[in-house]
Amino acid sequence: MIGRTKRINDYKQIDRALPAQRFVDPEYVFLPLRTGRCAEYELEVEEGDDVALAQRLGMRRGKFFEQPILSTVSGTVVDTVEMTDEQGEKRPFLKVRNDYQDTPAEGMRERTEEEISALSKDEFVEIVKDNAIVGLGGSGFPSYIKMTSGHDIHTVVVNGVECEPYLQSDYYLIKEQAEEMLRGLSYIMRAVGAERGVVAVKSTKGALVEAVEKELGRFEGMNMQLAKVADYYPQGWENATFEAAVGTKVPVGTLPMEYGILGFNASTCAHIYEAVKYNRPILKRFVTVNGDALKNPLLVRVRVGTSVRELIDLAGGFREDVEQGNVVLGGPMMGVAAPDVDVAVVPTTVSILVIEDEEHVEEPCVRCGSCIYSCPVDIQPVSIMNAVKRGDKKALQQLEADRCIECGLCAYVCTSKIHVTDYCREGKRQVR
Amino acid sequence: MEIVTKNAPHLRNPKARVSRFMGDVSIALTPLVLFAIYQHGLDALWILLAAVLSMVATEYVYYQVVDWLERRREAKSDTEKKIRDLKLDKAQLRKELREKKSDAAKEAYDSFMETYREELPKLKEKLREENKQAPRKANKSFRLLNRSFTLGNFSVITSGIIYGLTLPDVIPLGMAITGGVAGILLGKLIFGGLGQNIFNPAAFARVFVTLSFGTALGYQAFVDAEAGATVLTALNENLANQQIVETYGYTALFTGIGLPGSLGETSALLILVGGLYLALRKSFDLFVPLTYVGTVLVLSLSVMWTQGLGFWFPLAQVLSGGLLFGAVFMATDPISIPVTRPGRIYFAFGLGVLTFLIRLFGNLPEGVVFAIVFMNMFSPAIDYPRWSRNRFSARSVLIFAAVVALAILITNVGVYYVE
Repeated sequence: MIGRTKRINDYKQIDRALPAQRFVDPEYVFLPLRTGRCAEYELEVEEGDDVALAQRLGMRRGKFFEQPILSTVSGTVVDTVEMTDEQGEKRPFLKVRNDYQDTPAEGMRERTEEEISALSKDEFVEIVKDNAIVGLGGSGFPSYIKMTSGHDIHTVVVNGVECEPYLQSDYYLIKEQAEEMLRGLSYIMRAVGAERGVVAVKSTKGALVEAVEKELGRFEGMNMQLAKVADYYPQGWENATFEAAVGTKVPVGTLPMEYGILGFNASTCAHIYEAVKYNRPILKRFVTVNGDALKNPLLVRVRVGTSVRELIDLAGGFREDVEQGNVVLGGPMMGVAAPDVDVAVVPTTVSILVIEDEEHVEEPCVRCGSCIYSCPVDIQPVSIMNAVKRGDKKALQQLEADRCIECGLCAYVCTSKIHVTDYCREGKRQVR
Repeated sequence: MEIVTKNAPHLRNPKARVSRFMGDVSIALTPLVLFAIYQHGLDALWILLAAVLSMVATEYVYYQVVDWLERRREAKSDTEKKIRDLKLDKAQLRKELREKKSDAAKEAYDSFMETYREELPKLKEKLREENKQAPRKANKSFRLLNRSFTLGNFSVITSGIIYGLTLPDVIPLGMAITGGVAGILLGKLIFGGLGQNIFNPAAFARVFVTLSFGTALGYQAFVDAEAGATVLTALNENLANQQIVETYGYTALFTGIGLPGSLGETSALLILVGGLYLALRKSFDLFVPLTYVGTVLVLSLSVMWTQGLGFWFPLAQVLSGGLLFGAVFMATDPISIPVTRPGRIYFAFGLGVLTFLIRLFGNLPEGVVFAIVFMNMFSPAIDYPRWSRNRFSARSVLIFAAVVALAILITNVGVYYVE
């Protein structure tokens, strides 16, 4: 209502006592050839070729980096198909048949702890780069670029906050793989020369606090701490996490590395551990399959490349009494609504949500100010909306519309049910 | 299931509704309405009904007329639409010609004008014949409820009750109705209805009544019955008139029992109960009434100190008159006040200063509604993108503190010279 809204209904109703289901082996996997960040690609295999697990199939090329395309199963390349990617756009995917043998590629081997501690920073970065590790919170930004920013890093923060409603993937990851995550953190700290490691989890998630605290006992000499942060939205936004966990305010538009802080998502850390220890790319990940239009919401650990259609079938399919629904990839506040279910799980797919579509009747804005009070970056959504409506670019600049992070809170709290976030997006676009 | 796409966010807060907080204001006003009827008998009920119904009816009739005009526009014949399009095209081409001044634009305009001169008389002739054969029928699909009517979210009812409660108990019903019609029409609808109005309709209506009928009613009689006027008028004439306050006693000032004044403004106790309810339900911005009352309190304390008055003076300033009522129910109407929190605090501070100055130096005993209407006009200026900010910065706090100090100084210098 009129006032600051920080807590939102979290709908995290999957029973937290249950282990994640292991649905790992689909018959076909689909690997994206192009992504939003990499417009070009080059394939090194042809149709009918046999491929091994984690074998390099080609390269994606973006504006400022390139990334190997790695197979997540061993089997046979079938062909190239058109599918919807996590941004809701049609892009080519490589279809690979799974032979269920998991024949490893040549480079896949276990490193001993001595070998790992002997790794130089460059070698470390090379491993992360070759295994195509990206930010798994949803950004998909290559992790090795973050490590080579050239700034002195004193603190590495692991973001296990997961503030969006419905999402529980990181919750399960930390609960089941806290050790891997912390080992990943210790490798990163050693590689970038940071003195301190901080793991941020919500104080309301008792099981996570317990799990991390227990595992931290193994790392006594490392100066690693647990930071319990409050259960707010958008607390998992990088800058908010840093402020709550470390106390450093990072202004929007600057890089946290400039302040000596490096942030990684909890899943990213666990996968960096796997990449360094076993030279293994992101093969499996936790995916939340949830939403009020699904019969049996569940949490699964799946092979990257699994078709979303299969996951929805696993969740019992759509409820019959729902006429219209949104299929959301990512969280309900910032995620993208896919036009169909021809989607494959990519490393950054945190969740698949099927939510019953709600019609909102917009009333006139009564200037209650809820959006302004709730805005996490302290801009004025309603004034931006009015400036967009009257086409006032100067006002948009003065209102600093480009600082918007599109968290969706302004539309969530709107008493008149106006889609304020859409206007802010438009304002941001006009200023840039 | 059919898959539809939408832009994020896909969740909305089910509790956030306009009707919720507007309805909450109506609920918070209920004890005041009952108290007014208890204190003034059925007269109060008729005045309140007149105020609410005049506002609701005006809005209803206005939107019915708007809808009717719209239906008429939609019902235009094809020939009429063609004539309109032709004229619009001409205006567009002429505008381009004036802006570009190129040969191509001139050519296009000339060639268009040829067809225009040919076509227009033909179309006009055709229309005339059509009208002769079959006179134009207006679309008569009457709808009982029109789309823009705001009865559903309580906003017009709330305005009506607030306006009714600010009226004195001796006002003739005709005047109450006139004020209500003028308030909703000139204070709200003329700007485009809910969300667009720059004035608080209730405050506007109250100001309208004071300015239009003050003399007609006989100023003295009118003033006697106005918001806590007996206390304030006396103070207005002589600052150090402590007896007036003591005649009624502080209990009466606080509970409102037996106190003369307008219908709903006398009982500080019930107003505070209403304010507490709104604060607990988060249905208004608590900072506005706090700053408003706080400013009046600080200014009167400073006058008390410099003039050597007793503690009764600030107490009487805060408890009497429409200050608490205005602060809780009128100054918090979100539509006509600034949107940012610093803006709202500046606004409420301005209200406090204006109210206090009007009370001390103006020839009106009561400054609340005037201050509200006056400050409403400054809302767009406070919200101007160049200086409006979501949070206080160190600089803005410094400037604000200087303005507060200046306001206290000016008030006391003024009091010193007037006395």
